[in-house]
Amino acid sequence: MFIVAEFIVLLSTNLILMQALGTSTLFVAAGNRKNLLWTAITISVFTTAGSGAAYIVNKLLPSGAADLTPLLYTLIIGALYILILAGLYFAGGDLFDTAKKYIHLSAFNCAVMGTLFTVTERAGIYTSLDSFFGFILAGAEAGTGFILASFILTAAYARLNSSKVPAAFRGGPAMLIYLGLISMAVYAFR
Amino acid sequence: MSKKKTTVFDGLISDNTVLSSLMVISPVIVCANSVQNAAALIYAFSAITFISVLIGSFVPKKLPYAAKTVIYAIISSIVYIPVKTAAQEFFPEVITRVGIYFPLLAVNSLIVLQPQTKFRSMKRTQMIPALVFYILGFDAVILVTAFLRELFASGTIAGRVVDMDTLVSGLGMPFGGFIFLGLLCGFYRAVRSAVRRENREEADSDVHSS
Repeated sequence: MFIVAEFIVLLSTNLILMQALGTSTLFVAAGNRKNLLWTAITISVFTTAGSGAAYIVNKLLPSGAADLTPLLYTLIIGALYILILAGLYFAGGDLFDTAKKYIHLSAFNCAVMGTLFTVTERAGIYTSLDSFFGFILAGAEAGTGFILASFILTAAYARLNSSKVPAAFRGGPAMLIYLGLISMAVYAFR
Repeated sequence: MSKKKTTVFDGLISDNTVLSSLMVISPVIVCANSVQNAAALIYAFSAITFISVLIGSFVPKKLPYAAKTVIYAIISSIVYIPVKTAAQEFFPEVITRVGIYFPLLAVNSLIVLQPQTKFRSMKRTQMIPALVFYILGFDAVILVTAFLRELFASGTIAGRVVDMDTLVSGLGMPFGGFIFLGLLCGFYRAVRSAVRRENREEADSDVHSS
């Protein structure tokens, strides 16, 4: 029952299905299962680590300086982006060449930045979330939600791009309508 | 001459940011459900994107990709501050309603990624009009989407009640935004390919007749 409840929470707070965050990235990566999985994992790393850093920034930021939040979140993501790239580069091997395109694609997109804002917003409502580990957990949950939405899209990707779909709707438009239908179904859980 | 014109106008129709590239679609899906929301988003997107990309064009092109990406994002986050302050004067209610999608405009793909792809090879004099049409392309889509979704979901236009027999309230929800944008995108592609086919046939008939 716990797993079912958690699954429903993951769906009903899903970045893509409920907030349309990271949809463009999902479409770019959806062409290949390996790309999609790597992108989703990279985004999860950014949302998890970024949320932890966002908690610290939120605590240090004076209440009258809320307009600086996007700049500070951008600096967080920028620092993570450079650190991860540098870490992989100095670690050597093929991992840097394999992972760098996913890191470029994942760093500055709505899913990552949106998670930092969403988690902060939720922490303002649910005080139990307002801790360092609460933020980390919420960031990881958002990333897992992205992975879940990736699997949902992957399941139908071949059909949505098949020649049976009218040419004008093949690919992007069909995927949007498909995500809309899934989103409508998930909406019932709320 | 005609080739240059085509390049500059690309962003408005043939290479539209939303309908062709499927970029910056989150605010269109979630927030473009009323004309007031659209007006605030158009203002913020246009101001942040234009000023940020213009300032970003002075960033040395020789810098590594990741460094340029971070610099572009920092520039737009700084530009966001005065834009938000002005928006609080003109659209105070809308900013609360739009929520996180307002600051997210500061890291949109047109600012962070496109200067390194679409605008990379352009001179500044060519880039500025092209950028304006890319921005207008987004503005047009969000305005049309918001107008139609508000009309059919709420039976109003810019908050004024219109005599509508049937309302589809789901169209105002995010899932309605997904479905509406998918349909709009499909319609746009059908029209675009029909126009291209016609142009090709005209060009072919010109070649044969000459």
